[in-house]
Amino acid sequence: MIRNHRREVVAAYLFILPFVLSYGVLFFWPTLQMIYLSFTDAPLIGPGQWIGLENYIEMFDDRRFWTAVRNTSYFVALTVIPNTLIGLAIAMMVSRLKGWQQSVILAMFFLPYILPVSVVYRIWNWMFNVQFGIMQYPLTWIFGEPTPVFRVQWMFMPTVAFVTIWWTCGFNILLFLAGLRSIPSDIYEAAALDNANRWTIFRRITWPLIWPVTALVLTIQLILQLKIFDQVYLFVQGGRPDPSMVMVQYIYNMAFQRNEGGYAAAIAVALFAIVIVFSVLQFQLLRSRGEK
Amino acid sequence: MNKFFKVAMLSSVAALTLGTVAQAQETVVWWDFLSGGDGVRMKALIERFNTEHEGEIVIQPTTLEWGTPFYTRVQTAAAIGEGPDVMTYHLSRVPLGVESGAIAQLDPADLESVGLTADTFAAANWEAGQIDGNQYAVPFDIHSIILYYNKDKLEEAGLLGEDGLPTGLDGADNFMAALEKLQPNSEYALSLQTSGDGTPWRVFYSLFNQAGGTFLGEDGTFFPDESIPAAVQTVETMASWVEGGYAPRLTEYEGSVALFTSGAAALHMNGVWEVPTMTDLAASGELGFEWGAIAIPTFFDQTATWADSHGFAIPNNAGREMTPEKKAAVLEVISWMNQNSLSWAEAGHIPAYAPTRESEEFRTMQPNATYSVLADTAVFDPKSVLAGVASPVYDAVANYISPAMNGEMSADEAIEEMKADLQDQAD
Repeated sequence: MIRNHRREVVAAYLFILPFVLSYGVLFFWPTLQMIYLSFTDAPLIGPGQWIGLENYIEMFDDRRFWTAVRNTSYFVALTVIPNTLIGLAIAMMVSRLKGWQQSVILAMFFLPYILPVSVVYRIWNWMFNVQFGIMQYPLTWIFGEPTPVFRVQWMFMPTVAFVTIWWTCGFNILLFLAGLRSIPSDIYEAAALDNANRWTIFRRITWPLIWPVTALVLTIQLILQLKIFDQVYLFVQGGRPDPSMVMVQYIYNMAFQRNEGGYAAAIAVALFAIVIVFSVLQFQLLRSRGEK
Repeated sequence: MNKFFKVAMLSSVAALTLGTVAQAQETVVWWDFLSGGDGVRMKALIERFNTEHEGEIVIQPTTLEWGTPFYTRVQTAAAIGEGPDVMTYHLSRVPLGVESGAIAQLDPADLESVGLTADTFAAANWEAGQIDGNQYAVPFDIHSIILYYNKDKLEEAGLLGEDGLPTGLDGADNFMAALEKLQPNSEYALSLQTSGDGTPWRVFYSLFNQAGGTFLGEDGTFFPDESIPAAVQTVETMASWVEGGYAPRLTEYEGSVALFTSGAAALHMNGVWEVPTMTDLAASGELGFEWGAIAIPTFFDQTATWADSHGFAIPNNAGREMTPEKKAAVLEVISWMNQNSLSWAEAGHIPAYAPTRESEEFRTMQPNATYSVLADTAVFDPKSVLAGVASPVYDAVANYISPAMNGEMSADEAIEEMKADLQDQAD
């Protein structure tokens, strides 16, 4: 059969055209615009003068920028690995359940994930409330007095990280569960025949075979948590915004409160670069480890 | 077919006639950020306006979220010509509004045509709506902070004068002595917001001006050297209330109001806009004590109280010229609101419009009449794009002054860092 190569190519382009167009208009073009904006002194709305690298030079001198970078890194450290490990642990427990029990328990763990962030904020702000919050019972037992966790600086980030893990863990559990199910059961049977103990089974079979999923979850988590904004923004209301400022929050402040669109774009480009570098690095690193 | 044609003709004629009627009635799209007691009273005012102007002007109101969300919305909407015809605006936000091109300049001749001139407002208030001598906003009210008091507790502590008003509160030392007297029969002698921005800024700015401090020098310096001692002294005074256990630690706005309304606190520093809360609770018999309000005492050398204004401004709608009819309608709205601002005063505010402020009705309205003297010595926010409602200055208060009030950093350190921070943002 003679295939009309040209016609096939045309058809292929026609099929991908809607995607390419919408991707170009909605993602690629705005990204280019953002990079361009970062070299200008534009306000929030409208164009600005080309000022070259000035925004970037200013950024390196800006202590709030570095606070934001530090806090974002701290938050990533507090959430990415713990969230992944907790997700794996719960998934392994859930996978031991059978039938409707598994469905019910899984649904319960997944429930927080479908909540909007504002609801999550309401729930936990209430639970941690100094006067009426249920969490004040354990907190009073530990610290000897009711503790406003979102107002005490060193407790702020860990508490927000805790709430974030509670909120987003469900999705990781789901991914891990899918991964666990894809491990053939005869491997486990063979190991059981060889009298391998539970720890050995986990270390020699489950962990290596689940590794691709773990790498995926870690990468998704890293990108997601680098972009942390809503939880910090909501929980800091009525407190001290600066010491716990994260990068996206700083972009928001600069653009919407300070009317400095150009400078905000420069910070956004910096965040963009950090996300790309770290996620590519991490994924390569994790993949190469998995291949050994 | 013929019948169908007739019906179609008739209905299009009807539509045309209705259209003409609707055109004669000018619609004014209105945005505000007023909620709570303010919101209820403004809605009533708008309804009254619409009834009185039936067939001529109708206001179409929308309430948006107070603070940064409101001002961002205005700026973005104006930039694409989709802003409202008129909106409420904090006079303290006028500098940023003008710099970002969000609000339009007002023509003095237009304002005069509806009786809005400089001499119908307090001088400082009228000027707060100006940048470089050009008018951008018309004041509607003056709102400030006041000292709410629990009459029963003050009486027990012997702090009521013969006229039934609190006495012996002027002077930082006297005030402290009064707190000591009030503490035994209260959970807190004084409740005020001690976390975040808002009240801490308003109290700080009042006391700092009483001590003769300059927040923003002519040359653009925040806290000029000679004003630093006054600033430190102010923060130390505020911190001493918390340190002595007279005021609650790390307490948010709502909590500070609840401490007073529940009878746990003898005194309460907050905005005039909480007057309806007290009035309503007292009317329904839920308050459980007699309350009153006076102007903030004079702690230092001179009398001064922080104040801001709700005003009216017209957005700088890009590419949309206002028709003369629309402009006339908007001016009528602004002028009518000011002439009828007496009912706005029920929300605790002091009317900006002098004829209303000096009217017999307002002079007998309590407790407004007691504290309205503060209007004469009111100090408005510094004129800077960094100042005003929900501004970097407010953030700086949350970052430095509130922590200092709670003893998390020293007063010296707080002022030094606040100065550096604001200066850094200004340059």
